[in-house]
Amino acid sequence: MSDCQETCLKLGHPVPDFEIDTYDPVVKNFGKISLEGQKSAGKWTILFFYPADFTFV
Amino acid sequence: MGAEVITVSTDTQFVHLAWQRHEKELADVKYPMGSDPTGNLSRMFGVYDDTSGLALRGTFIINPEGILMNSEVNFYNMGRNIDELMRKYKANLYLAKKTDEGCPSKWQDEGDKTLKPSPDMVGRVHEALNE
Repeated sequence: MSDCQETCLKLGHPVPDFEIDTYDPVVKNFGKISLEGQKSAGKWTILFFYPADFTFV
Repeated sequence: MGAEVITVSTDTQFVHLAWQRHEKELADVKYPMGSDPTGNLSRMFGVYDDTSGLALRGTFIINPEGILMNSEVNFYNMGRNIDELMRKYKANLYLAKKTDEGCPSKWQDEGDKTLKPSPDMVGRVHEALNE
């Protein structure tokens, strides 16, 4: 497991900005999502991590 | 619900496309599927498993100001309860408006009993919940 004693995020504290590549099934296209963009749009974000595609989530 | 749900694994966006196109269970998926092939985002949230290169089942709720409000991490072999995730998201929305209240464990939706921590409630949580 990653060592996160100093790097791990804490509840009630800001999440550093991030940007990731996406596939969006609604528009059937690739894209990017950033936390900065979410904040500008005034949106809540739910990140839902899972181990791997082609398995159960 | 007003929140952007982003699913994330260490697969690339190309694999996401292939999986979503192939798996009939995913025909109605409306969420952008994020890719984290470097594991950097997974590492940031403490869910990256170095031994497998995979992300554990972590769920994180971030408010519009970019503050982390909720976290839950399940191991590989434990599925998540989406009703509970929605309950926590709704509670966070509610508590963002009602900052002096608390949502107890049985809180399900707006209108349900909340608690207002105060000196009067110390030692009388049972009464406060049942009044």
